[in-house]
Amino acid sequence: MENMENVENNVEQPVVQEEEQYSALSYAVGAVLAFFGISSKTHRASKKRAKFVGDIFTYIILLFGTFLMVYPFWWMIAASFADTTDSASATQIIREIVWWPTRSTAGSAFSSTHAGGLFWNYRIFFTEGLTVVNDDFTFWRALLNNLLYSIVPVVVGVITSASAAFSFAKINWIGRNAVFYFLLAAIMVPGPSIMTAQYAMYHGLHWQENGLVLIIPGMFGSIMTAFFIRQFLFGLPTSIIEAAKIDGAGYFRIFCGFILPLAMPAIMAQGLLSFMGCWNNYMGSYIMIPDNSNAVNLPHAIAKMDGYGGGGRYASQNYAAVIAGSVICVIPVMVLFACFQKLIISSLMLTGSKE
Amino acid sequence: MEDSIAVNEAVSEEDAAAIEAVPQKKQKKPINQAKLQDNLWGWIFCIPLIVGTVWFVYICLIMAFLLSFTNYNIINGGDMFAYMGKFSEHIHPQGAFYWYKFAFTNLTKTSYPMNELGAYLFNTVFYMIGIPIGMVLSMFFAVCMSRDIKGGNVFRVLYYLPCVASTVSIVYTFKLMFSQQGVMNGILGLKSFDNGGGFQWINLNGTTDLAWNTIIQKTGGTPTSQSAFMNDPYWCQGIFTKLVIIVMSVWKGLGGTIILYIAGLSGVNAATKEAAQIDGANGWKIFWKVTMPDLYPVIFYNIVTSVIGGMQIYMEPTLFIGEQYITSGYVSLIQMNGIKAGKSSQGAAYGMILAVIIFALTMFQFWLDSRNKD
Repeated sequence: MENMENVENNVEQPVVQEEEQYSALSYAVGAVLAFFGISSKTHRASKKRAKFVGDIFTYIILLFGTFLMVYPFWWMIAASFADTTDSASATQIIREIVWWPTRSTAGSAFSSTHAGGLFWNYRIFFTEGLTVVNDDFTFWRALLNNLLYSIVPVVVGVITSASAAFSFAKINWIGRNAVFYFLLAAIMVPGPSIMTAQYAMYHGLHWQENGLVLIIPGMFGSIMTAFFIRQFLFGLPTSIIEAAKIDGAGYFRIFCGFILPLAMPAIMAQGLLSFMGCWNNYMGSYIMIPDNSNAVNLPHAIAKMDGYGGGGRYASQNYAAVIAGSVICVIPVMVLFACFQKLIISSLMLTGSKE
Repeated sequence: MEDSIAVNEAVSEEDAAAIEAVPQKKQKKPINQAKLQDNLWGWIFCIPLIVGTVWFVYICLIMAFLLSFTNYNIINGGDMFAYMGKFSEHIHPQGAFYWYKFAFTNLTKTSYPMNELGAYLFNTVFYMIGIPIGMVLSMFFAVCMSRDIKGGNVFRVLYYLPCVASTVSIVYTFKLMFSQQGVMNGILGLKSFDNGGGFQWINLNGTTDLAWNTIIQKTGGTPTSQSAFMNDPYWCQGIFTKLVIIVMSVWKGLGGTIILYIAGLSGVNAATKEAAQIDGANGWKIFWKVTMPDLYPVIFYNIVTSVIGGMQIYMEPTLFIGEQYITSGYVSLIQMNGIKAGKSSQGAAYGMILAVIIFALTMFQFWLDSRNKD
């Protein structure tokens, strides 16, 4: 048996056929190809070798792709440390960055001419950068807004979605399917096409200046979230609920005591995904909230520093502050994603949604 | 002990009462209580979602539909619901379909030989070039990742990073990376373009005379002063900005599609694959004849959602270079007219046209799908 295996695994196994004679050149080429795991007329490559070579190529391709995926983030961090205190060459320094700025705040942190410190650009961003929105507006206000817009609607919205999902999956009531399809049909309505009516409505309700427009609609839950949690709940045995019912638990108790803990993976994953969506929600803030109000969220405020295409106060002289703001905006979602990546990725694979 | 006896007695009394009560209640159907509970709680648990959907989607949809026939202006029109209460009085004075006609006939706002709607729609469709590119790339990476290698999950996470990052941050990074002296021009060797100024990716013009002539010279032609193609307004104006936007959106959307395809690939029947391998099919053939047919539903889903999303492109062009007819997507038309200028009715009409276009495109894809299956 061992012999047989050895023969199979042998890398350069010449297949000599009596009728055909191969030239030395083709024989040599075949040997080389077999070494790289490719079978030819003269040599048959072993499967192990083929897989090994294929793996190496796969790694090279994937590592190259990883570089492409990660490099802009590295660039972002490097640019946020560019020393732009000398405004004459500031634009040039930040644009010519490949790996690290030619004059960085790390290099000039302790020099007397550019007294700023390592986090100089971040300091500008924290202290004066966001006054482009209005004079009272600070970074902390933007952060508070962003937390408010992403935590309140997501937490409340996920619970309302989960309750609707529970009702659709586990309770029999008249008109259940009709209501479900009625709600599902709402997904087909494209957001932008009802944007103007929504804007007029929020305008009438005075929800725009105070930012309620980004909080209240989210608190009613989302249909997609409800749909995915419903799919998850179908996998739970109904006998648990029946047992609880026989023991005298009401539906509210069943929901709080059984459904919420049991469906926690699905609820967490959906909640995290919608948290990320809300955190990055530039469009909602830009369209619904007035440019100079204190209610704008962080991405909107950063976009205002740039001034939509280069007209902003920071675009020409201190773009590094804008980039520092971008880094600040990306870090929380990155940390969250790093902590829960297993949950998020597996949920994405399960549901097939891309957001 | 006494307590328990008392309880027992109470129970037995209740039982007796129940036994006595049963024959009397028979015609009233005692099961109804549970069903009532089901119905009651079913509705209660659903009510928030129903209210939210009806309020923020359906009422707004009806309002937008009706608005498009009127001449409502948010700045001096007062409350929308009060205005729409007298719908019959407020139909647009120049005919109910005025804004629809306007959308298809006004030629004033662009320098193109087409109307505003056409210009914005052209940009939107142009950005959809990214969809097939992204699909092929992500399929390639997904096949690589679903090989039996160590650390496949790590790659999955790293490729998904751009998806979770904020579009605002990404756009500003790309904007600087594609600037004239930026790293992209360094890689592509375009830093010396335009007499050392560097190639300008992000601008609204077509190529400049100088840039065009350099391209011509490099490809071996003779430089001319003004090329016809260069001045072709909507093919050439801002084309490099559009390309950068396509590159960025492909880069940003890759991870999500890869995960979708990995999920699809793990569902491909392994037995069929092995059978094909034994029959002597090579990897390429197995991929096209075995894997692809199994992946078809995933690919179809991806195309449908990408086209729906692609029709609604808005943030990237706006953040790159602002809103105008040269680069902006269709949604900018709604935003600029309906919200910034306050002409809600015009915006609503554009929105209804967008909804019809998206619906028609989706139906068309489903029709193609059903024809494929026969």
